[in-house]
Amino acid sequence: MATTTRDDIEAMIARTAQQDRDAFLALYDATSAKLFGVCLRVLDSRPDAEEVLQEVFVKVWRNAGRYSANGLSPMTWLITIARNTAIDRLRARKVVHEDADAVGGLEDKAPGPEAQAIAASQAREIARCLDELDDDRAAAVRGAYLDGQSYQDLSDRFAVPLNTMRTWLRRSLIKLRECLGG
Amino acid sequence: MSDGTIDGPFGSDAVLAGEYVLHLLPPEARRAAEDRLAVDGAFRALVAQWSERFAQLADTVAPVDPPAGIRAALRQAVADARHNERRRRGSVLGRLFAGGLGGLLAAGAAVLFLTVALPRIEPPYSGPLYAAQLQGEDSDLVVQARFDPRDNAITVLRQAGGPAPGRVLELWLIAEGAEGPVSLGVLPEGREVEVDVPDDLAGAIPTGTLAISDEPPGGSPDAAPSGPILAVGAVEDA
Repeated sequence: MATTTRDDIEAMIARTAQQDRDAFLALYDATSAKLFGVCLRVLDSRPDAEEVLQEVFVKVWRNAGRYSANGLSPMTWLITIARNTAIDRLRARKVVHEDADAVGGLEDKAPGPEAQAIAASQAREIARCLDELDDDRAAAVRGAYLDGQSYQDLSDRFAVPLNTMRTWLRRSLIKLRECLGG
Repeated sequence: MSDGTIDGPFGSDAVLAGEYVLHLLPPEARRAAEDRLAVDGAFRALVAQWSERFAQLADTVAPVDPPAGIRAALRQAVADARHNERRRRGSVLGRLFAGGLGGLLAAGAAVLFLTVALPRIEPPYSGPLYAAQLQGEDSDLVVQARFDPRDNAITVLRQAGGPAPGRVLELWLIAEGAEGPVSLGVLPEGREVEVDVPDDLAGAIPTGTLAISDEPPGGSPDAAPSGPILAVGAVEDA
């Protein structure tokens, strides 16, 4: 990934849109580890994450022609597809067996040393602005984005009423927006 | 706001867009937001902005190499897709058609490639719409085609002209760089009709060209058009 630039990924997506198989596989090679990480983080299950990753790249193959018009950076587009597909799977799984163990898991989802090193080297605006929030409120935003936790999951995890959690999140979004200058 | 209990800044579109991107909205509210994305450019911009910002959080997610079997399965899947497409295209007849189309395109300014002036519709991952205006030099047929990648369907609206008595209209896709056309089927009767696009062709629509030919009932007996091309137009972002 370090040697693959944004332009490289955009070019691969553009060629994938022309049904270029080699470009598609190059795109897979350049981005699959990151997207697999995103899926694993949400799903916390290798077999599920493997199925979802395959589904993600089928979507990429079919929809690459739509990329240029959507205004997102290429990695954001890919991460959004991966995350949404993983969360859809997560929610479907929960409907099948409402599993209390699936909620929470704060400790075992903490980033490992490698991830922390990456985070430190790529400290970005969003991280700075999250740091300005109270710790548990920032953790709730991260839980929603990175772990795909719902309002119900978050209210269970932080032991606050559902409406309180909604208020936390919405206030956090307003503060983030102010901090990010949006 | 979905629960209607909080007004003021909590009810703002920016917050709603943030909740949408975080995937916090209940299913009905999420669908309502997606419907809005399709028509509301300002809301789309808010969603895009939050998507970019939160995607930075993925920096903290360590990459994990997926098992090699996934790559192999995907390679096979895209190989099959291409094979099917080639088979459907029919190379010899395809080249014949390409010649006919080339002549039509060479007619130059008389053949108009108009983009329909529709609002830009491009939610981050519900996808944009695409449109093509099809018309030809020697025919009074004018057709507007709109492609919605969310359900891989083309809506065809006949604005002028129609099939000759005892004849039908057949819709074709010429994928960018392709040698020849692929049939998308005979247009059903009616001024506005919908045509389903097979999944393996849908990816080629946004950058492709659509054409309509005059055919006997049931459509062209060949893999390529058997009658004259009545209208043609490039697909553009709508």
